[in-house]
Amino acid sequence: MASVKLTKVKKIYDNKVVAVHDFDLDIKDKEFVVFVGPSGCGKSTTLRMIAGLEEISDGTVEIDGEVVNDLQPKDRGIAMVFQNYALYPHMTVYDNIAFSLRLQKLPEDVIYDKVTNAAEILGITEYLTRKPRALSGGQRQRVAIGRAMVRDSKVFLMDEPLSNLDAKLRNQMRAEIILLRQKLDTTFIYVTHDQTEAMTLGDRIVIMKDGFIMQVGTPTEVFEMPRNLFVAEFIGAPMMNIIKTELLKEDGEYYVRPFGVKLPVDGVKGERLKAKNAAPGEILLGVRPEHMVLAKEGDAGAIPCRLEVNEMMGSELHLHVYTEDETRMIVRVPTVGLETDQREALVAGAKLYVTFEGKVMHFFDPASEENLLNE
Amino acid sequence: MNEHNEKRHMGLKASTRISNTVIYILLILMSVIWLIPFICIVLQSFRVESTWQVGYVIPRQWGWDNYIALWNSDFKRWYLNTFIIALFTAALQTVIVLCMSYTLSRFRFKMRAGLMRLMLILGLFPNMLAMIVLYRVLKDLGLTQANAVPGLILVYVASSGMGYYVSKGFFDTIPKSLDEAARIDGATRAQVLTKIILPLAKPIVIYTILTAFMAPWGDFVLARYISFGTSSGMNVAVGMYSWLQLDQIGQRYTMFCAGGVVVAIPVTILFMCLQRYYVEGVTGGAVKG
Amino acid sequence: MKKYSDLEFLRLTRGQKILYRLASFFAAIPRTIGGWFVALGRFIGNLFSSLGRGIADLFVTFRDGDWKTKISYLIMGFGSIARGQVMRGLLFLLFEAVFIFYMVTSGGYWLSMLPSLGKVGPHEEYDVVLDAYTTAYGDNSFKILLYGVLTIFFIIAFIYTWRANIQQNKISEQILRSGKKLRSGKDDLRSLVDDQFHKTLLALPLTGILVFTVMPIIFMVLVAFTNYDGSHDGFNNALFGWQGLANFRTMLTWSGSGVNYSATFGEILTWTLIWAFFATFTNYFLGMFVAMMINKKGIHLKKLWRTILVLTIAIPQFISLLYVSKMFAKNGIVNGLLMDLGWIAQPLPFWENPTWARVTVIVINIWIGIPYLMLIATGILMNIPADLYESSRIDGANAWQQYTKITLPYMLFITGPYLLTSFTSNMNNFNVIYLLTGGAPTNAAASGAAGSVGYTDLLITWLFKITMGADSQYYLASVIGILVFLVVAAITLVVYNVLPSIKNEEDFQ
Repeated sequence: MASVKLTKVKKIYDNKVVAVHDFDLDIKDKEFVVFVGPSGCGKSTTLRMIAGLEEISDGTVEIDGEVVNDLQPKDRGIAMVFQNYALYPHMTVYDNIAFSLRLQKLPEDVIYDKVTNAAEILGITEYLTRKPRALSGGQRQRVAIGRAMVRDSKVFLMDEPLSNLDAKLRNQMRAEIILLRQKLDTTFIYVTHDQTEAMTLGDRIVIMKDGFIMQVGTPTEVFEMPRNLFVAEFIGAPMMNIIKTELLKEDGEYYVRPFGVKLPVDGVKGERLKAKNAAPGEILLGVRPEHMVLAKEGDAGAIPCRLEVNEMMGSELHLHVYTEDETRMIVRVPTVGLETDQREALVAGAKLYVTFEGKVMHFFDPASEENLLNE
Repeated sequence: MNEHNEKRHMGLKASTRISNTVIYILLILMSVIWLIPFICIVLQSFRVESTWQVGYVIPRQWGWDNYIALWNSDFKRWYLNTFIIALFTAALQTVIVLCMSYTLSRFRFKMRAGLMRLMLILGLFPNMLAMIVLYRVLKDLGLTQANAVPGLILVYVASSGMGYYVSKGFFDTIPKSLDEAARIDGATRAQVLTKIILPLAKPIVIYTILTAFMAPWGDFVLARYISFGTSSGMNVAVGMYSWLQLDQIGQRYTMFCAGGVVVAIPVTILFMCLQRYYVEGVTGGAVKG
Repeated sequence: MKKYSDLEFLRLTRGQKILYRLASFFAAIPRTIGGWFVALGRFIGNLFSSLGRGIADLFVTFRDGDWKTKISYLIMGFGSIARGQVMRGLLFLLFEAVFIFYMVTSGGYWLSMLPSLGKVGPHEEYDVVLDAYTTAYGDNSFKILLYGVLTIFFIIAFIYTWRANIQQNKISEQILRSGKKLRSGKDDLRSLVDDQFHKTLLALPLTGILVFTVMPIIFMVLVAFTNYDGSHDGFNNALFGWQGLANFRTMLTWSGSGVNYSATFGEILTWTLIWAFFATFTNYFLGMFVAMMINKKGIHLKKLWRTILVLTIAIPQFISLLYVSKMFAKNGIVNGLLMDLGWIAQPLPFWENPTWARVTVIVINIWIGIPYLMLIATGILMNIPADLYESSRIDGANAWQQYTKITLPYMLFITGPYLLTSFTSNMNNFNVIYLLTGGAPTNAAASGAAGSVGYTDLLITWLFKITMGADSQYYLASVIGILVFLVVAAITLVVYNVLPSIKNEEDFQ
């Protein structure tokens, strides 16, 4: 059982800079949790506090029910993979992986079994006698994982392990980490700044900003129900479109009026607004690019705009449009459903119409940036 | 059009060739100027017809007389002294300097900034001031004059921690994540030093040993003060300096040249063999702001 | 003075920009100096407030502590032993015992003699056995000063340790109260190679520095306030005593037994500064120039040129310096060669004429220093990204412009601190001056002031001569040493604080 519990964990540097505020999190055994956020948000600092590489200014960290604040890293039962792999340059791959086992004074044949086992799982058996500088980035990555694997630790910590790899390799390694997770039966805590990695790898995601937790939830939760503007804009690419507009209530029904076009808030969202009896007023309306659709002039709820840039992404087009009041939005249009003449009409300066339904709308309070539908 | 381009092209080539030729001439001139004093010393060490200073370089009579005279004089003693001092200093000083620079590079403790600032300030004092007191203390301990050798070793080694700058710069370039990975793997900080960092620090270790070994050969002031006139306690610098004083220069000038050659050769050979590490130390650690 | 905004500044002509920069530099100086005083005041204020807090904390701990803590105020280590940390407690107790023993047997004596530095000097006493007057020796001023200072250090160390003992008690109580266990002796030993490893590593080096650098400096600073010299060596011929600021007055003003020290001091100081300036900057720029020459594309045998120059670093400096010094003597090789070639009729006065001597010294120092600077410059040059030069070539820059706009700023930025330390160490560059000239030619006018002062003497060679001279006026030497320190420290402070206001660090990141 290797649960990790952080209670009111704080990190204050002695020049009074608070890097992490009151971090509370309950990680269940064998869960894969991802800390994600922009640089400087405190995710690596929190990970390092769990590892024991940074002192915990306040609060407690428990691993498997035991408070580990005062324990050395080696006594916490953790293993860590670093962003720059941190392989010992003067040792062979075999020695790198065997290092911790030798420190534990295990017999050499036991060490041999463990190392070769891990090497096989990771596919690096042929590199065992080489030194790190003779390996490529992806291979070094695997050695770093191997070094962490053999320790049979309770918690597996990974600090932006894929950041130093090129795009193609990153996709490949992402899949391998998912496979690895299935093979290793442990708790994973993974730090990244890439929201795609977070969404694909995590059971739960912790989104951080400036040392605060913005939201904790499953990928679906954070995608479909972002608790605040930051999470809404951070998750999902391209970024969610944010429109300054009004929320109206007429005859018990809710409407929004972006750019003067009145759209009803129907469906699930409408019901929830009614349930909360949300107050009408100024709001920030959020709609993801993939939820906007092209409309025709004269359609109900068609918002007029002009096309600025047309990005050809392959299976879809990213249309950068701007409205009369210079608000910019992005609309994702699948290329499959488009007729040739429709496509050819999509040139810079072309007049377009977009619209969207009620169930894809997100409503945020302009002052607090909180989602109006938060529980 | 084509001709114009050709002219421009030729202009570039020609001007480069001219500047390169000038540079080569300068370099040759410099090499000559830099090497001349040493060539002169070597040549003059073989001079037999006179032992005092003369205005010409090439000896009229060649011979090994000066070298033989070296062997029969106090020079032997001085050489041995300096060699022993250099050996012990190299070993002990390296340990002390590396302890200091590694700690200052890796550990963050309360007194760290204050300590570094204090050493900066201490370094601004002319170190000659300390000599007088040190002489008295060493005298009370019996480590002066005839026993100058252990006295000098003690003085060199004891304060050597202040010379941590270059090695610390080098250690700073080794990523701290290596330390962290090793600690997570279960190593104590002592093990991190011995198993991980030291194997990677070979260049700076050699640099430190080399500079620590070479320094005592040239130390004049301190050695002179502590040996205080007793020939058996002098090092080569002090001894040979006395040879060039007005009272002795008549007989000893050529012996000085011979002595210079004998002292310079082993040190130079050692240096040239390890030159790579010296250069790495100077360009790497010495300059890191 | 008018302050320009960034855009306004850009509109000025080049001349106006330079003037503006100079003006702001000088205008900034009073502000910087004011800033130092404020910082100093704040520093002292912090010192007192933390002192006050520390003392208050001692009272609070006594009041709130349990009986074990209270007894530890008297018997150090008691609390630790009583709580099971026997090893720590015994160490504290041992320290206390040693301290008390020392103070009772000798410490008290040295302290008491410190204000007077000895009462009974050597005097004649009637020896019954020999039926004559022989010299009997009394107190030893030197030892009193030395051991007195050591005792004061010991006392400070004791107070610090005693306080640590109290802190230990307080922390132990806190730990026990929150239900945790105290570290055992084995844990303590193990931590010495782990999280407390830095203490283990630093113990020996710091002790060495404390005993062999800090103590002597403090001692010599104190000597500047006595009259310790050859005829007052404190034991054999006469005691020495406190003089207050008399020595400083002698050095810095026109008074003092007929010898005009301050004039000499001023002259030597001026030359020292000039020397340091030239020695540092000629080597720096010439070394850079040589490095760039060798590094230039198209020059072959780079390694050969560098090796020849580096060779000269290997040869012990004293040999080079002594030999070259003789080379330029009246009957030396250089004069001999020039006369043989018929270029001159009389030997050139390299070392006899003051100005010639000064120039020659600087030139020979260039010969010594260039290889070293060339190494450093080469290392840095190789690290300047090549695309900076390439893009500037496309922009149309010629070689000189590339040098002033790319190479020079980059080099100055990286070697800024190095230049500063190079300057200050050149101010104290004993070997080069002493071995080349011994300070000669002699400056008769100044020489009344102890030792034969010469035109190439630095403050530090003067210091040396004073201590080795007939009178061995150590107190004067100390005064000079302190003054040198003040000058060097002032320069260092100024440069460090003014530099960032002109340069911008992030430009190079």
